[in-house]
Amino acid sequence: MPVVKHLRSFFRNLLRSRQADADLDQEVRAYVDLLAEEKSQAGASPEQAQRAARMELGGIEQVKEEVRAARAGAALAGFLQDLRYGGRMLRKSPTFTLVAVLTLALGIGVNTAIFGVAEFLLRPLPVTNPEQLLVLASGQHGQPATGRFSYPEYLDLKRQATVFSDMAGYQVDFEGLSTGHHAVQFFMSWVTGNYFNMLGVKPYLGRLFLPSEGQAPGADPYMVLGYSFWKKEFHGDPKVIGSKVVVTGHSITILGVTPPDFHGTFYAFDTQGYLLFSTEAADPQAAAFWSKRDARELTIMGRLRPGGTLAQAQASLDVIAARFTQQYPDGSKSLAIRAYPERRARPQPDPTDQTPLLAAIFVALAALVTLLACLNIANVMLVRATARYREIAVRAALGAGRGRLVRQLLTESTLLAVLGGLAGLALGVGGIRLLSTIPARITQLPFQTEFPLNWTFFAYALAAVLLVATVVGVMPARRGARVDLNSVLHDAGRSVVGSRHRLRDLLVVAQVAGSLVLLIVAGLFTRSLEKVVHGKLGFEPDHLVTFTVDPHEMGYSEDQGRKFFRELLERARALPGVESASLAYSVPFGYYNSSVVLSEIDGYTRLAGQQPPQIGYNSAGTDYFSTMRIPLLHGRDFTEGDTPNSQRVAIINQAMARRFWPGQDAMGKRFKTKIEDGPEQWFQVVGVVANSKYTSVTDNDVPYIYFSLAQNYSAIQALEVRSALPPQIVLNELRQQVRALAPDLPIFYAKSMSAGLEDFNGFFLYRLGAELAAALGILGLVLAVIGVYGVVSYAASQRTHEIGVRMALGASRRDILLSVLRNGLVLIGAGIGLGLVLVMAATRVVTDFLVGVSATDPLTFLAVTSLLALIAVAACYIPARRAMNLDPMAALRYE
Amino acid sequence: MPTEQTELLQGTLDMLILKALALGEMHGLGIARRVEQLTRGTFQVKPGSLFPSLHRMEEQGWLSAFWGESENNRRAKYYRLTRAGERRLENESERWRRISGAITHALQTT
Repeated sequence: MPVVKHLRSFFRNLLRSRQADADLDQEVRAYVDLLAEEKSQAGASPEQAQRAARMELGGIEQVKEEVRAARAGAALAGFLQDLRYGGRMLRKSPTFTLVAVLTLALGIGVNTAIFGVAEFLLRPLPVTNPEQLLVLASGQHGQPATGRFSYPEYLDLKRQATVFSDMAGYQVDFEGLSTGHHAVQFFMSWVTGNYFNMLGVKPYLGRLFLPSEGQAPGADPYMVLGYSFWKKEFHGDPKVIGSKVVVTGHSITILGVTPPDFHGTFYAFDTQGYLLFSTEAADPQAAAFWSKRDARELTIMGRLRPGGTLAQAQASLDVIAARFTQQYPDGSKSLAIRAYPERRARPQPDPTDQTPLLAAIFVALAALVTLLACLNIANVMLVRATARYREIAVRAALGAGRGRLVRQLLTESTLLAVLGGLAGLALGVGGIRLLSTIPARITQLPFQTEFPLNWTFFAYALAAVLLVATVVGVMPARRGARVDLNSVLHDAGRSVVGSRHRLRDLLVVAQVAGSLVLLIVAGLFTRSLEKVVHGKLGFEPDHLVTFTVDPHEMGYSEDQGRKFFRELLERARALPGVESASLAYSVPFGYYNSSVVLSEIDGYTRLAGQQPPQIGYNSAGTDYFSTMRIPLLHGRDFTEGDTPNSQRVAIINQAMARRFWPGQDAMGKRFKTKIEDGPEQWFQVVGVVANSKYTSVTDNDVPYIYFSLAQNYSAIQALEVRSALPPQIVLNELRQQVRALAPDLPIFYAKSMSAGLEDFNGFFLYRLGAELAAALGILGLVLAVIGVYGVVSYAASQRTHEIGVRMALGASRRDILLSVLRNGLVLIGAGIGLGLVLVMAATRVVTDFLVGVSATDPLTFLAVTSLLALIAVAACYIPARRAMNLDPMAALRYE
Repeated sequence: MPTEQTELLQGTLDMLILKALALGEMHGLGIARRVEQLTRGTFQVKPGSLFPSLHRMEEQGWLSAFWGESENNRRAKYYRLTRAGERRLENESERWRRISGAITHALQTT
């Protein structure tokens, strides 16, 4: 039976050291010698005797093997016996067991859930050798590189950067897909033909693109479906391979489906389909894509040759960037190219990306909670071990080996840890499921919703359980094994030794300190959220609904689009209950945040070597400011008089006026810039509006420009409607209007502006961070309170006899109360002191994630410290009061 | 009765070894000889069953082992009963008396 054999060898390795084996060998040989001696005394010659003895033994190795088997069997039996005994002890005190298992379950559950999410965020892509993948970003010298590349640049890079074995480009986008029956909007990637080949992704069905495809305008009108999109929209029908759909007005043939675990390279999101850039840039007006060096649309991903390093790649990219600057001074002025490991560029390259740090902070906080839970249980186990010293001593006196006793205590704690671990794992998995539903509730981007749990997660959970078992079990077990038999047996059970208290006191100090750290970090995050939520937005989000449409997805030309938007706006304004309506390129915290570079500015000279200023912008139609309730401070709003043929105009915010024309009237001033691929032109300032938030709730007096939407047509536009009616009713009305105008046009980001504020770009991360931190903080507080209460009340119960004597000698109740309280207060004081020292070190790390609050915010520190102190003192007061009310006579007779 | 020597029940052997050691500490061969003597030669203890039994009982805490010297100054592993072993012997003897009494009674009933 192989199982038994494995088990046996396992135990042999575990329990039998090589030395024990040598010992066994000697024992058997000594036996043979004794037997031979006996036989030679009976008259045999020494040789005969030796031979006879060996024959009687029947093979030394065989005997040894049988001994090992017997020992392993006995050890297993001993283990099972320990397990049964441990189970009985736990059943005997169900309250303790329940509290301990729940505490550990919370500790382990929180920890594994947070680890699971962190692991998900930093997990390698499911492609061949993901560690070889680098993401490239373009930028200007001396500035963080986050930009993309043009197709000509991509071709040059691919050819010249020989440290890479291959390079592919992609770009995420939303497009409309029509099957003839219905139209949907889907999240997709435009890719180069070698995209899948470079990644090493194999088709789930049909085939994927070939490296030779997609190299000329309009070539290879094919599409590859993402697995979940194929399941959802095509019901997993394999017959769709080879069928035709319409995307962006082109007829497209479906080639294949990607495997279930591949979600594209825009990390954490689920790419629902893939098309070739040749399809996007098929039309004559897209010629710029193929030839213009500064039409930068592609995110480039490269695969290092085996043995290639990031440093080599960066060195070769530096050379290439310098060459580009020299060869194409117009389009690549002071170009810099940076390579990032794929895992550090999720979903887009961003040198300031702090996801790993934030993940590390939360993993650390969760580890602290787990540690507090362990300390709590270790403490209780210590108390129980003390109470059990008599039992242990009796068992030791009856001949149980010390090792056996330690093993017994460890088995008990491991049993607790495993029970707690299983419950914790269930909690953790549940927690992850809960966390993974959050993105779907707040955003319409297709988030990769399931976090498949892999072996890393379970290995981590197992390690956590074992660690917990060790922390919880080793201290009591070591103490148990060191029990002095005589003193315990003679001491009628009143076994109070000073050092034992010192260890428990230290545990309580550590608990108070740990929970103070948790609470202060939680407090800082909460205060941050409060500042963010109650901060001034600069516009009025209530009673405002918005949605976005992109008629270009349906193949509309600019003229058709302009007509569509004009009619949509007229219909929206005519709806009953609508106060005002407007159109814009994007809305605050929307997904389309763009900026322009100002090459020349009236009356403003750049310092030598300074980069031209880069300013964020939006394009707005008439009535945008009144609909958003952004105050117009000077000048005028956009009017019907602003047309593609009239003077280019812009409305700027106060921050921009102050930056370039401080102390002057900005009205009538001009600046020169180009929008996207348009020509470079002069724009005249015709109005100044108040500052507001644009791309992030943390924006603070950011300079901003509004261009005229009529002068800068955008195929994708957002409608804003202010109405006192409930948002859902207004949105339904508007949907009907869109359907009447263009039946197949998908509508996206339809929501009320206040709901939009809860999105990724809004409060979401702050709220999530604050809520997670608060949950961890409260858990830590509860654990600390249990710890303090447990220690003080146990200490008081141990002093019952002493208290009785003191009272008999005339101590007042107040003296007793104070003496018991003092005990606890010293511990709490020490814990808070230690906690403040630790938190000073910890806040340096979190300071980057705080908004409007300093990392040493006095209010948070004061409030949290006094809250903790108050609750901890209350936890001391209850046992102290009980001690105070003891009947002296009863106390003296105690025990 | 040569066949019975090999069919010695494990529990019975353990009990006999405990009994042999109740008289004092002993090395392996001494235990084997003592058991033979105690059972008037009915049970001959082979090393292949003696050693596993000794080690199993040591693992269970009924015996403790130490290295000593034999009468002829040879190094040998000695075994002695622990307190747990003594109790075990008591319990086992009591159980044996009950069972063997019951079986004897059963066999004698006509």
